[in-house]
Amino acid sequence: MSVLKTEALCKTYSSKGNITYKALEDIHFEVGKGEFVGIMGPSGSGKTTLLNLLATIDKPTSGRIEINGKEPTKLNEKQLALFRRRELGFVFQDFNLLDTLSIKENIVLPLVLDGILPRKIEESLRPYAELLGISNLLEKRTYEVSGGQKQRAAIARAMIHQPSILLADELTGNLDSKAAKDVMESLKSLNEEMGATIAMVTHDPFAASYCRRIIFIKDGKFFSEIRRGTNRQLFFQQILDALSVLGGNFDDIPFARS
Amino acid sequence: MTFRSLALSGIRGNWRAYSAFFLSSVFSVFVFYMYASFIFHPDVINGHIEGAAGVRQGMVACEYIVAIFSFFFMLYANSAFLKTRKKEFGLFTLFGMTRMQIRRMLMLESIFIALFAIAVGIGIGMLLSKLFFMAVAVLLKVTSPIPFVVPLKAVLFTVVGFFLLFILLTFLTTLRIGRTEIVELLKEASKPKKLPVFSIWLSVLSIICLGSAYAMAYTMNMNNIVFYILPILGLVTIGTYFLFTQCSIALIRMAQRNKALFYNRTNMIILSQMAFKLKDNARILFMVSILSAVILTASGTFYVYAKGGREQVLSQTPQTIGFVENGIDAHEVIHPDKVRDLIQGDGFELDYEVSLAGIPTEKVQKGDGSKLLEDDWHATVVSESDYNHVAVLKEMPELSVEPDRVVMVFPYKEQSDMLDLNFSSIKVQLNGKWTNLEADPFRFGAIVAPVQSFTNVLVVDDAQYKKLAAETPKSKLKVAYGFEIKGWENAQDTVNKVRAQINPSYEKAAQTYRVESYLYVRQTSALTMFIGLFVSFLFFIASGSMLYFKLFTELKEDQAQFRALTRIGMAANEVRRIVVAQVGMIFFIPVIVGIVHTFFAMKALGNLLLSDVWLYAGVVVGIYIVMQTLYFAVACSNYMRRMLQAAV
Repeated sequence: MSVLKTEALCKTYSSKGNITYKALEDIHFEVGKGEFVGIMGPSGSGKTTLLNLLATIDKPTSGRIEINGKEPTKLNEKQLALFRRRELGFVFQDFNLLDTLSIKENIVLPLVLDGILPRKIEESLRPYAELLGISNLLEKRTYEVSGGQKQRAAIARAMIHQPSILLADELTGNLDSKAAKDVMESLKSLNEEMGATIAMVTHDPFAASYCRRIIFIKDGKFFSEIRRGTNRQLFFQQILDALSVLGGNFDDIPFARS
Repeated sequence: MTFRSLALSGIRGNWRAYSAFFLSSVFSVFVFYMYASFIFHPDVINGHIEGAAGVRQGMVACEYIVAIFSFFFMLYANSAFLKTRKKEFGLFTLFGMTRMQIRRMLMLESIFIALFAIAVGIGIGMLLSKLFFMAVAVLLKVTSPIPFVVPLKAVLFTVVGFFLLFILLTFLTTLRIGRTEIVELLKEASKPKKLPVFSIWLSVLSIICLGSAYAMAYTMNMNNIVFYILPILGLVTIGTYFLFTQCSIALIRMAQRNKALFYNRTNMIILSQMAFKLKDNARILFMVSILSAVILTASGTFYVYAKGGREQVLSQTPQTIGFVENGIDAHEVIHPDKVRDLIQGDGFELDYEVSLAGIPTEKVQKGDGSKLLEDDWHATVVSESDYNHVAVLKEMPELSVEPDRVVMVFPYKEQSDMLDLNFSSIKVQLNGKWTNLEADPFRFGAIVAPVQSFTNVLVVDDAQYKKLAAETPKSKLKVAYGFEIKGWENAQDTVNKVRAQINPSYEKAAQTYRVESYLYVRQTSALTMFIGLFVSFLFFIASGSMLYFKLFTELKEDQAQFRALTRIGMAANEVRRIVVAQVGMIFFIPVIVGIVHTFFAMKALGNLLLSDVWLYAGVVVGIYIVMQTLYFAVACSNYMRRMLQAAV
């Protein structure tokens, strides 16, 4: 059963003077329930545009997106916000945790916004906090914890309302390699133990090696797709090979948006 | 790009921050120039305008207030700017700009702003000064209009004064930059904020301070005002300061501990943001509260005086014209027919006319024979039904007196605190004969002109009065006449004519000064209010712009937060709710605190004046709330637009 499905997805940006730029062209793909999919591509390939379309914060020029059987393009603004809140989970490169809230409050925010009772909120918090190894950080403030811990808190926030799909955007971009490894391990155990469906945009081959399937796009078009076997080491090598075929510039870690 | 254009683009780039500051500066300059143009007006200096000297003095006082206020306001605003622009300065330093160059750039920027603000302020001042002169002329009742002039001295005074003020302040603030490391400057904006903390003791202290100050204000009267007024000011200031820095955080912490409240949808964000916003803005909120209280109390007081003045005049002069004759048929002061003719001859109508006969006392003592109030305290004995007849005309409550009892009526309610009314019966000597009377509760408020023995009135029941009057020769009786003119406010000329006809040797037996007193009260209070209006408005604009500025200093951080929140599924209406709650609290909490302060101040004023000030205080507070709401609406919609832009 597919959680996410895109059909002939196109996004065209037009500027003054009728110069149009095709950011995405005819993208077809499906993500099944419990899958862990990576989307890779060189800079300017349309990864972020694709993720924004999936995240419903941008609208496609043509084509269809279906998430958990619903078409977000047909919803109005308010329904869309509720859709994001209930069906989608987000993890960002720059964490986007609120400094004014404690780690715990940040995590439970989606449930609080949805008007869930405090007792139920506590109940749903516990398994995620334990799985992600942040149980002892819950009362801390955001400036008291490391980047890796922040990102794990952000993952907990993205998962606590049990969304249909977790969307991650360069989530290791701001982390050192140790923290990146911790975060990816967490994501992997989420996927394996809790059956979370994950779609992740990245240009980091190491982070991508945790995925089970990787879709490569180039110049806004589908390029290729590889699947992981049992060996992650081998998969990492496959990714590097695929990237060298793909070409393009991969040194484009975008700065955190301030 | 020249250095000058860099400074100009600095202003353009920071215009949002500058605009509120600029507006307040323009308003300061405008008010200052307008007063100055009157103070230096040739006709005022030469004394061509009657009564202008007093107005001029009031305006000079206002000029000092405006100047001192502008100094502190701009000092604050300048240092607040620098704080928000630290990152910019860090970048400039990184690119090799020296500290001197940064100072020069800031100097240039503030010179541009100063010149612009002064030009606009004086421009508006010139445009509106004719209107201002016209209003003053109307209030002063001068016949020929005050001509429009642009006194060179006023312009020079304003330009030079404000220019120096701007430069001095910039100089003071630039001295403070450049001591920090570049890294610190660059990081300034993204420094994580510490969780706001509070001290339970200081919170309690704040409540105790405010509580005791309020209690003192509530019980303030003529006797203790001298001891109370300074402690009240001190306690309120301390209490308000800790209210914002400590109590507010304590309250929010309490709300956060209440799970049902805190974990309810947007409350979590509103409350936790609020704790930070309140702590960050505590000092500014404190200042705005105090400013609001000052504006409101001052305006309220002026307004009460203006409105209360009429009532006071009316209570002191029960009728427009009143006089007392000796003897029931005597007309030594002036004949009532003459008064009537003069009034009707001028086209006025009589509202009503009274004549109240009474027996003057020879001696009055307390029941036990000791002296009552003063040695030669005199009064006039009148009958219950005669008194009530006049009281009905004056729309005052009627009396009822039992036999052998007396209601003592004192003329002024202001006396109630000062008289020693510690007795329950009196002895009255009439025609050499003593009569004992039990005293009923006292009453204040004259019903006829309080002159000579009619100043105080003893009301007895009709039977007793008849008996006493029968024993008194008709020539010894006194009669108080009173003429109430319809539309007396405009009857000054008629009253003057009547006064001219009064027998000069009986001048003291007549009371004819009501219209003059009223006109004088009206004019002074209208002038004071008119002049004070601009200062109040300046305070209002300045306090509003401080809040506005504060709101926009953290725009970027706030935008980032809302962007994150919408990504995780916050709907636009929830963003709106949060923004309205946040901006609303910043704008209205200080106003509410200021209003509470004001109500206690007004209660104290009411105690002093023994009159009801609530209506007038309410009017002033109402106007203030409306204005603040307008300011809030503008700030909120601006801020909202930016937040919604950021949110997706």
